[in-house]
Amino acid sequence: MGRLLSCLTRKHKRFLAVAALFAMGGMLILPIFLSLPALAGGGAPAAGGPPPDVVAAQEAAKGEEEGEKIEMGRDVYYKTEGPAIGMPAPKTEDNELHYPRYNFESRVLIWVANQQHLYYGSFVLAVPIFCMCIEFAGMMTKDKAMAKKYDQLAYDFIKISLTAYSLTAILGGILIFTFLTLYPSFFQYLSSIFRPVMHIYALLFVAESGTLYIYYYGWDKMKEGLLKWLHLSMSVILNVIGTVLMFLANSWIGFMMSPAGVDEQGRYLGNIWHVIHTALWNPLNVHRILGNMAFGGGVVAAYAAYRFLSAKTDEERAHYDWMGYIAMSLGVAFLIPLPFAGYWLMREVYAYRQQMGITLMGGLLAWLFIIQATMIGILFLTTNYYLWQALGRMTGGERFQRYIKYLVFILVVGLLVFITPHTIVMTPAELKAMGGQQHPVIGNYGVMSAKNGGINAIIMTTILSYIWYQRGNRIPTVKWAKFGNIFMGCFFTVAQLNNIWLACYGYYIPANVRIGLSVPQVAGTLSCLFFMSPLNLAMLKGGKVLGPIQWGRIPPRSQYALIMLATAFTWMMGLMGYIRSSVRLFWHVNEIMRDNSPWAYTHTIGFAANVISFNVLFFWISILFVFWLGTLGTKKVPVPAVEPVPGAPAPQPAVSR
Amino acid sequence: MTWLKLVEGYMPMQMIAELTLCILFFAALNYMLKKAGMGIPKFWAGIGVWVFIQLYLKYRIYPPLPFSIRAIYGTVSLCGIFMWVSGSQAEWEEFRRPILDVLDGKTPLHRAVRAVLLVALPIGLGAFAFNSFKPSFEEPIELRTVHPAPPATTKVHGKTYVLQVAQNPYRVNKEGKYDQEYTNAHITEQAMGRLMKSLGPEDNPWNPNAEGYIKYVREGGEIFFQNCHFCHGDNLNGRGLWAYAFNPIPANFTDAGTIAQLQETFVFWRVAKGGIGLPGEGFPWASVMPPWEQHLTVDEIWKVIMFEYWHTGYYPRTWD
Repeated sequence: MGRLLSCLTRKHKRFLAVAALFAMGGMLILPIFLSLPALAGGGAPAAGGPPPDVVAAQEAAKGEEEGEKIEMGRDVYYKTEGPAIGMPAPKTEDNELHYPRYNFESRVLIWVANQQHLYYGSFVLAVPIFCMCIEFAGMMTKDKAMAKKYDQLAYDFIKISLTAYSLTAILGGILIFTFLTLYPSFFQYLSSIFRPVMHIYALLFVAESGTLYIYYYGWDKMKEGLLKWLHLSMSVILNVIGTVLMFLANSWIGFMMSPAGVDEQGRYLGNIWHVIHTALWNPLNVHRILGNMAFGGGVVAAYAAYRFLSAKTDEERAHYDWMGYIAMSLGVAFLIPLPFAGYWLMREVYAYRQQMGITLMGGLLAWLFIIQATMIGILFLTTNYYLWQALGRMTGGERFQRYIKYLVFILVVGLLVFITPHTIVMTPAELKAMGGQQHPVIGNYGVMSAKNGGINAIIMTTILSYIWYQRGNRIPTVKWAKFGNIFMGCFFTVAQLNNIWLACYGYYIPANVRIGLSVPQVAGTLSCLFFMSPLNLAMLKGGKVLGPIQWGRIPPRSQYALIMLATAFTWMMGLMGYIRSSVRLFWHVNEIMRDNSPWAYTHTIGFAANVISFNVLFFWISILFVFWLGTLGTKKVPVPAVEPVPGAPAPQPAVSR
Repeated sequence: MTWLKLVEGYMPMQMIAELTLCILFFAALNYMLKKAGMGIPKFWAGIGVWVFIQLYLKYRIYPPLPFSIRAIYGTVSLCGIFMWVSGSQAEWEEFRRPILDVLDGKTPLHRAVRAVLLVALPIGLGAFAFNSFKPSFEEPIELRTVHPAPPATTKVHGKTYVLQVAQNPYRVNKEGKYDQEYTNAHITEQAMGRLMKSLGPEDNPWNPNAEGYIKYVREGGEIFFQNCHFCHGDNLNGRGLWAYAFNPIPANFTDAGTIAQLQETFVFWRVAKGGIGLPGEGFPWASVMPPWEQHLTVDEIWKVIMFEYWHTGYYPRTWD
């Protein structure tokens, strides 16, 4: 064999390597293709035949003809008929059979296990997407030094995710054991419904692991030419598998919230696509992808901040400052559309069940939404704060810093409107003094019309901060610079006025029209992002550079801001997960399988906040361990402290302030 | 500060506008003082702005804001001021200089302040702790769920209504068909005074020849003034004759946060079942409204609801 290999030319070797890689990739994704027929409906043909429910109905009719009596059921959501081939949802009782327990609240145990698995799962799904983007950016960059920097950054990212990946798998195992031990009847029912895809999930996990390991360990071997492109394409495969995994996991929670594909008794009707594709599945998918990306960016930014604060040399400080900036930018890029995805999700929740929507946003859980709004506000304010601090590492950045106070004012007013509760906490004496449940002045901030205005004002200000940051050390010199500046100023002003006007106008029109008003509001905000940012870059092209970006020369406050950003992401994820789960109230599967355990009640806000905080703390302690592992065997970072700019003065050493 | 009126209908924007003007005034004042060589130190400017906001919220806004709201606003504005004073390194150094001077005891005055703080801070914290633990006779805070989620269906006078899809049978156009747009076009003007949009026969509920929708509005009004106005008030603002016998006082329908946010069927369910029919989620069930299904027919309930929307100028929530 060795002799045979030595006979091969370099060209042949490369061909064999490529072929082997494709074969490996094919093997890894083979389970997906093998399982496709099952996806299409309980073993029915994947394509070319009649729809799965028709096939099932035909089979049922055939069965009846042959003398077997197959009962038909009606889908609770799709309203289609199908053979009731699954078992009905168990009618549980509070006993050892259905709810065996330790001497502790089972719900809290499953809550913690779920949340930890979800944190790590989100992280390892998000980071490879960043890796893919950064590696691609490195390959596209003509500047070799920058290309190397990007490549090193992508490698740093995936290195952290590798350890986290093992932890995700371990936590997944713990989660399943917790389900089996504490909620056996429920888990048995759920797995009977999802039986056709349960093993696909497991096989996809194997495929993802294999791809990830080849991707990571093949980094150095596949660093040039075609192999590098293959390496990059492996990251695409990795991310496709990861995303499908997440979609499958989302289908379970989607089914629990808005079941479909089963009849009123919870019997499976033979169409797995209906079970997966529930009313809330797609909004959940979109919301979770964006949320994971924002969360992943936040965690990597926190890692970079941690490494920055513990750095011993200027080079290290410069590298981790840059890494933190890139991770934060990626995270925020996905944070900006996140509220809109959340808005869509809530709209679909209301459309699915009005009472579910009201419980979430107007009733029992409304106060948790105020906390969520506060966390969103913290995220945006912290992002702005970081960008203002980052202006300090640019020569010329100070010319924007004097206007920070005005941005602060807009952000604070927007946030105050955004977090004003509709149901105010007050003593009966205060209620009497106020003269009613709603306050005539601030009561109007408590409804959606004003809140849309508040959050859009905040996002627009964040975009403006980012545009200032882009301009930090540069002055546009294009001929139309003056016109461009006036145009940008007018655009932002009009967008903001439009936002405020629509927020007020929303009070004078029917609710269905008011909901539609969010579209022009969002359009204004996104226009600022998608038109003004490129316009700004076009204006800055070939512009006058006032000085280099002095990476590493940034106050430690900025790094604490990054850590706060990540912590706020983590807390908010925990909170939203709790809200989404507890909106089912006393149902395991909404309106199908009742939760008869002693914990089928809604916790107090204080208790929920404590468990969420515990989850956050636990995650950060464990991820610190992962960070620490990442520092072991770290390569020297080959990054200059300062971006070279011809003719620029030598950079000052980074200082800790 | 009630001599400067908060104008009804414009109050929320008026508050934001007033705060904006005040902040711009402070910025201009500081700029001029700086030009004259008498700029306000950042430390005192930050404290001054924060104190101003607290005073504004406490004494300018009426009726008084509950403490929880002032606490939220105070905390957010404090964070905002921190972001402002530490936005750049130069400003942060300027802001913290007096604090460091006191801690370092640079001058005799600084040392004196440090000594005072050393004594005053523990005493203040002790007093705070004492007050926190002191038994209080005030009524406890209630986190009331004003709009609990309705059930999927409700049974009134033997008929089951699916709240998601049920419609007000009297919300009809000239042809007698359900028509939300038609009825929306014939409600009162929502601005101050709540005037009728026009005085045409189609819009005048006092017109004896009125037919269809506007006739049903008149009938709803009669039912309202026979049964509801004692609590909910002549102007539907929750200030009826008996309103202040209750705590909380009855719902103010003219507020944008009540019926304007709700589907018509939600109001139907609440009116029919009353306070006693509130679900578990409606903690602490602070409503004494009777279950009107015991006193009114289904038709009367639908008509009175339509009158409430007509009179307040709001549209019931729809999902299409």
